[in-house]
Amino acid sequence: MTVILMLVKIFLFPGLLFTLLVSLWLAGIDRRLVARMQRRVGPPLLQPWYDYLKCCGKETIIPRKANKRVFLAAPLLGLASVLVTAMLLPVGGISVFSGLTGAADLVVILYLLTFASVTLIVGAAASGSPFAGVGLSREMVAMISYELPFVLVILAVGRAAGQGLNEISQILLGAEGMGVTFSLADIAAYQQLTGLPLIARLSLIPAAIAMLFVIPCEVGQQPLDIDEAETEICEGVLAEYSGRPLARFKLMHLIKMYVMSGLFVAMFLHIETGILVLNVLIYLVLCTLVTFVSMTVPHAIMARLKVEQVFKFYWTFVTALALISLILVWCGV
Amino acid sequence: MSFVQNMIDDAMSKSLWLFHVNAGSCNGCDIEIVATLTPRFDAERLGCKLCGSPRQADIILVSGPITLQSRDRLIRTLAQVPEPYCVVSVGSCPCSGNVFKGSYAVCGPLDKYCHVDVSVAGCAAKPEAIVAGIAQAAAILKEKRKKMVRR
Repeated sequence: MTVILMLVKIFLFPGLLFTLLVSLWLAGIDRRLVARMQRRVGPPLLQPWYDYLKCCGKETIIPRKANKRVFLAAPLLGLASVLVTAMLLPVGGISVFSGLTGAADLVVILYLLTFASVTLIVGAAASGSPFAGVGLSREMVAMISYELPFVLVILAVGRAAGQGLNEISQILLGAEGMGVTFSLADIAAYQQLTGLPLIARLSLIPAAIAMLFVIPCEVGQQPLDIDEAETEICEGVLAEYSGRPLARFKLMHLIKMYVMSGLFVAMFLHIETGILVLNVLIYLVLCTLVTFVSMTVPHAIMARLKVEQVFKFYWTFVTALALISLILVWCGV
Repeated sequence: MSFVQNMIDDAMSKSLWLFHVNAGSCNGCDIEIVATLTPRFDAERLGCKLCGSPRQADIILVSGPITLQSRDRLIRTLAQVPEPYCVVSVGSCPCSGNVFKGSYAVCGPLDKYCHVDVSVAGCAAKPEAIVAGIAQAAAILKEKRKKMVRR
């Protein structure tokens, strides 16, 4: 029975099928909303799905100079790592893996997301194209830019939830905990116990804003897609990809969109009621809202930033926001 | 399996990534291609997206009367596109050479070098005509994909 339940969890509900459906929904609504904001009709809601299928139906060309094995393995590994990341997210209170190892899934998510970006870099390096070379160096700059504020935000949230749980356990049990938690289940439990999502805490609002800035850079969405700039460097890291490997990288991009919005919801906006269906609905609405605010609006109103602008912006403004939150939380505000 | 193949065939005509090759065009048709993608004509309704690499393209838009300098680049670019793909010539220049016909620097027309699926005439071609050409190319793409699977 446990095995069947686990299989259902992995393949159907919070696992693969649900992840794919939500990612396609978020990407479709994102493209449609961008079109509506520019007073266009826009593509059909299923457009990302058509794009994926179409890429699967095209011929796969492997350049003569490419390292064939690495070139083909990189998209598979990247896709696998984001799918596993999606399984760590609590959807309406349940996730695939948190019941088994709930100790530090935020750290695991951080590593898996970095791994997905690294597969992009490795695949680009293996393709042997100079455009991909420029793209991969830009992807590295983007990674350096967003990793620092991302880690600071996670530290702030972990401390806030850990401290809160510590106080509660002292009152209830008289025992003392660790004071910092990196478990999404614990963070969710804390928000449920206090009845308020963490974004309602004043000292965490700068961290939430910083996280909203981190999301599009991590995903590589339009104003910050410096590694795939199609007008300057011919799709950059994806310059030599075609057919099924390209389809896998595109799918990885969509799932990353969902993972980042889901992570924001889990960290800052976790709202739980007694009913599972209602929980999932609230989760979906919140994910769509986060996608709209952090990805759709910048996409519709901004042109692509330059590499050094991205670096400067993230290491000054966004890092400062995250740092303010971190200091406030560690001082106990 | 045939169900999946049918879905892919359908998707072929609904997701069209365009790649634009300027083979010595005067920039008139290029501006009209850009106008096709702007909010007024909105080619994204058909699933069109301008992409930066020929490796990802489904429809190649060629404008200009294939000059001596651009001929080899055009041939190399077309060789990099994965099957199935369509070539759409935009404007009168790639069809006939237009006013540049007879020049020592012009090696057109385009169908000397590749199979042209749709020709959009006009100097410069109208955005409406380009959208109509892309829609025709979408139907041709689906047929090409079907033949490819049978083979």
